[in-house]
Amino acid sequence: MSTTTDHPVQEASTTPPAPGRSRRLSDRGLAVAFISPAMLLLLAMSVFPLLWALYLSFTDYSATRDVPANFVGLQNYIDILTSAQVRQRALTTLIYVIGAVTLQTVLGFAIAYLISRRTHGRGVLTTLFLVPMMLSPVVVGLFWRFMLDAQFGVINSMLGSLGFGQVEWLTRQRTALLSLIVVDTWQWTPFIMLIALAGLTAVPKYLYEAASIDRASEWFRFRNITLPLVWPLLLIAVMFRAIEAFRLFDLVYILTSGGPGVSTETLSFHVYKVAFLGFNTGVASAYGILMVLVVIVLAQLYLRYLNKLKEG
Amino acid sequence: MRNIRMGRRNLPGRPVRLAAAAIVMATALAACGGGDDSGGGGGDAEASGPKAPATVPELTDDPLTLKFIWFEWPPAQALEDFANAEYTKDRPNVTIEVNTVPNANWHDAMFTQFAARQTDFDVAILDSQHIGEAVTNGNILDITDFVNENIDVDAYDPYLLAAYGQYPQAETGQRDENASMYGLPLLGDTWTMIYRKDLIGEEPPETWDEMIAAAQKCQDENPGVSGLAFHQANGSDAAAVTYNTVNGVYGGNLWESADKQIEGVINDDAGQKAMDVLVNEMKPLTAKGSGNWFIDEVNAAVAQGKACIAFQWIAASGGLLDPEQSTLGSTPEEIESKLGFATLPTQDTDFVPLGGMGMHISAYASDEAQAEALNFMKWFEQADVQKKWAAAGGVPSRTDALESSEFLDAGPFSQVYADSVSRLRDMWNVPEYARLIDIENTNVNAALNGAKDPEEALDDIATEQQEVLDSGGGGGL
Repeated sequence: MSTTTDHPVQEASTTPPAPGRSRRLSDRGLAVAFISPAMLLLLAMSVFPLLWALYLSFTDYSATRDVPANFVGLQNYIDILTSAQVRQRALTTLIYVIGAVTLQTVLGFAIAYLISRRTHGRGVLTTLFLVPMMLSPVVVGLFWRFMLDAQFGVINSMLGSLGFGQVEWLTRQRTALLSLIVVDTWQWTPFIMLIALAGLTAVPKYLYEAASIDRASEWFRFRNITLPLVWPLLLIAVMFRAIEAFRLFDLVYILTSGGPGVSTETLSFHVYKVAFLGFNTGVASAYGILMVLVVIVLAQLYLRYLNKLKEG
Repeated sequence: MRNIRMGRRNLPGRPVRLAAAAIVMATALAACGGGDDSGGGGGDAEASGPKAPATVPELTDDPLTLKFIWFEWPPAQALEDFANAEYTKDRPNVTIEVNTVPNANWHDAMFTQFAARQTDFDVAILDSQHIGEAVTNGNILDITDFVNENIDVDAYDPYLLAAYGQYPQAETGQRDENASMYGLPLLGDTWTMIYRKDLIGEEPPETWDEMIAAAQKCQDENPGVSGLAFHQANGSDAAAVTYNTVNGVYGGNLWESADKQIEGVINDDAGQKAMDVLVNEMKPLTAKGSGNWFIDEVNAAVAQGKACIAFQWIAASGGLLDPEQSTLGSTPEEIESKLGFATLPTQDTDFVPLGGMGMHISAYASDEAQAEALNFMKWFEQADVQKKWAAAGGVPSRTDALESSEFLDAGPFSQVYADSVSRLRDMWNVPEYARLIDIENTNVNAALNGAKDPEEALDDIATEQQEVLDSGGGGGL
């Protein structure tokens, strides 16, 4: 701790202020002054809306109706948690999250593993694979909507030239959710790939060299060196993707509008309908708070597992 | 360690936290205050917007942009071009701007701004069914006195005035002289039946059953061409309007407005028959994968010669005669020789769906803009302006304009609209409209795409819509 006293910053605080600088503004005051705008912005844009939504979630408030909010206690939460509609959307969301994130993880890691083994053209390949991630989800949704169109789409055209029949990608229950998973995978696999690639690059070379000397097989090296070292980083990427996928809205809105019927309506899309079609702001706030809670609880459990993994 | 502690003591931790808490509380209180502010609206659920003056107030001579909001489709551009060409002859300091959003965002774009009690538009072009929601929340001006003083109401078919401006909706759907007015007609519209004259003959089918038979025959005889094309998407009001149209034709009703009864009405025998016809007789004649089709997709199918018979809003049909967008001919005349436009076939009744929209003044627009909007409405509803609007591609609402050569010669669908006016039927224009239409849309779309049994879908529509009406629109999912 003795080094603390020798820290140059501490020394600087004892030196006289520079010419022109206010004598009344200490370093601490200066720090607060610099941090305050960001803190105020955070409070106004994030903390306050969250607290306000929390308050509204206990009321029957509607943003459009000119009537004051009435306190309804936990009624909104009870309505949501006992609703068959919400359960259906939760199941749809769960299937989507598991399907999309699993596919992205497998593909992302596989691509990263293959790229990491290359010595030439690695940068170009990585950049090319990253392109889908840089596009707006709305743009991605729009062009996939055209590509998946049963009548005029290029996908069915290609299938037709291979002798397959027309597939109703976006208008049948089974294929509509699958299409959403495929499009999301197309866009976000590069994210997993990027993080996996970072992990793979960080694996010390000497471990592989030692394994080679011991004549370890390729599979042995992958299972006992590569995977254990990349696994924690990969799990963090999975967590980020799962949180993102859990609040999926844009692709559903553009590709299927939740259809056919409500079979691809995710929780976020349903919240949107409650909030902006019915303008039941109180219920929508409770819905949003519950979704935040689910993400926080799952993320905490996940992080604890990660910490245990790290300690182990 | 000691230094660190010293530093901590120097940190204004508690004051900072207290200040932060105070800011949050103050902001919350401010927002609470804002939320309770009526902002020009009324004070209870039955309240209406502020009243517009009976006469047009003094207009500004300063440059002014009068902003409309509509959804993206050809009439929006036509209105902007027409108004800037004609209205500016009277008011050279005014520019008309028609801002558009995608159809699916139209309701949200307007009502989220209404909810904020602040709009970036002066005139909202509302669907007739949006009026109840906007009036109840005090979002648009009550122009009853203005209409009485400045508009020749006898020049209109009473149903059109009622549909595009009146609230509450009259039980009969007809105009109630004592009801308040909140808007005036901008664009009339209904569905037209578009049929391939070269494939099914010059004469259009007269009954719904004949129409289905003709579509079946045409599809069988022309591989690659589907019998029917119509709106089936679950966004906007696409699938719901389709079902409502068939429901009307087969003698069904959407509700009993007097006692707000839906359960047992929409799903009565006539309603079930209509759903059966739609799902089991009409749907099999559509193209594979057409379960998410709306205006653009139906137009594309017609323009590419992929449909024998199609149903489309008249206001969205203009592009079908454009050779650049069609494979049916290299001139409008050649296309017209293959495409016919007719009023909808009848069956048990002759109802056709009411489309189109009215102009409504935002309660949150500036005084200058509100005055200019009133003046624009007064100008727009004149007989000669309505005829010019018809010639420019609009569908007028004044009877004299509807009967004028300017309108009837404007396109092959003009006569269709003129013949349909007496057959129009609208949906509910209650404040809960957005939720009612979403329930109907998703269920009809599910039935059309095999995600739900048709009978079950109709029963679900009845149950869920009744719940919404019974709850007064509050709460619920």
